[in-house]
Amino acid sequence: MYKYDWKGPKRGVALYSYSAEFGLTKSLEECFEDVHDMGAHGIEILANTHIENYPYPTDEWVEKWFRLCDKYEIVPVEYGNWIDSHVLGSRDLTTEESYEMLARDIRLAHRLGFTVMRTKMPVITDKLEPVKNWREIIKMALPLAEELGIQMCPEIHTPTNLKGDMVNDFVSFIKETGTKNFGLNIDFSVFRTEFAEGEYVDPNYTPNAPEDLIPLLPYIYCCHAKFINMSDTFEETTIPYKEIIKIFKDNNWDGYLLSEYEGADKYDLGYEVGQTLRKQHIMLKNYIGD
Amino acid sequence: MEREVIQSVGFRNTKENGEITGFQFKVRLPYYRGVFLSQLRPGTLYVDGEKFEKGDIIWNIKGEDYTYEEMKEDFKTHWAVTEPAVLKVKKMGGLSQGFHELVYGFCFTSSYMPPVIQEHLDPDAESFVFMPEFGHHVNKRKLLIV
Repeated sequence: MYKYDWKGPKRGVALYSYSAEFGLTKSLEECFEDVHDMGAHGIEILANTHIENYPYPTDEWVEKWFRLCDKYEIVPVEYGNWIDSHVLGSRDLTTEESYEMLARDIRLAHRLGFTVMRTKMPVITDKLEPVKNWREIIKMALPLAEELGIQMCPEIHTPTNLKGDMVNDFVSFIKETGTKNFGLNIDFSVFRTEFAEGEYVDPNYTPNAPEDLIPLLPYIYCCHAKFINMSDTFEETTIPYKEIIKIFKDNNWDGYLLSEYEGADKYDLGYEVGQTLRKQHIMLKNYIGD
Repeated sequence: MEREVIQSVGFRNTKENGEITGFQFKVRLPYYRGVFLSQLRPGTLYVDGEKFEKGDIIWNIKGEDYTYEEMKEDFKTHWAVTEPAVLKVKKMGGLSQGFHELVYGFCFTSSYMPPVIQEHLDPDAESFVFMPEFGHHVNKRKLLIV
């Protein structure tokens, strides 16, 4: 299996970025080749999107998966999954049923060579607070995650604040259990400082400073390098990327920054998200040095 | 697969024992991830204004037929974004030769979205705010039967 030995922050791409093109004008292999063109080595997939015949792929498909990773020098970094406890309209899944769904994804992530999972929690409020039994579900899954070397990470995304209750609850859980198999994925939307005139800004949102990352670094196993607007001189105009990457480098953090483009314009006819991703990778390459 | 939700390929009359007993068409899932069948909220179909109730439409996913009631409870069967579903409708004699306007609504739930959005999902009406990655609920297309 392909290995990439660079230490420090590393470049990768979340295949979610191709959501408007995947299955229509781009195959999985074409997404891999696009990432390879950028000289990036990490990848995040969405289990429910990119795995053929999910959640039960054939052995032939898994062989093809590893062949693609080797051919395009790709490391399977993050496996995007959902604990869909609201999957039934009539009732919520029990803790046991939610665990079974999560365990199925942990096994599949491991089978595909992943080490980190972006584990999306089901929410119960408009402030996106997770279901009340999230601790029980995760606790049940910790032994399996440990056995298979998987780190489950909820994504911390705007309007959530790195100093807020949600992150605090996750960190307390990590400290109480002492686990190395549950951590955080920080989405860089939490650092966004610039908004277009008239653009909607969630009233619950306060931007974090890049330094707010420092106390959380031991629990961050992966990041979503969210970007909003890349200039034609290859600068992100809304998020302080230079300062963020400096924090990671100065503190010897080792892991992947996975580009995620979420702009609605990617659904416009003829839009090529690969070109937008390349602009960001020119910037990342310059700041990271690889 | 076409970018439109209602696909042009797969629209035809269907036969049982040599007799035309209905028609079928295909839809793709306009979402960035696949869904389990219980996440689906199928709506009403109109063909040239003629109404077909959601309970009378069979969804075929990967070669298996599912009724509206079966889908409600099925959170193990997954529908992929890369594979259109076949929708089967009973209608003795099928649809006539020529153009037909299909209007069909469906949507799906997402556990990670705010409950206020989930509670008001209506497959036969558009969401309050249109979000391209969730697609339109109601899709329309004019297609030919030979």
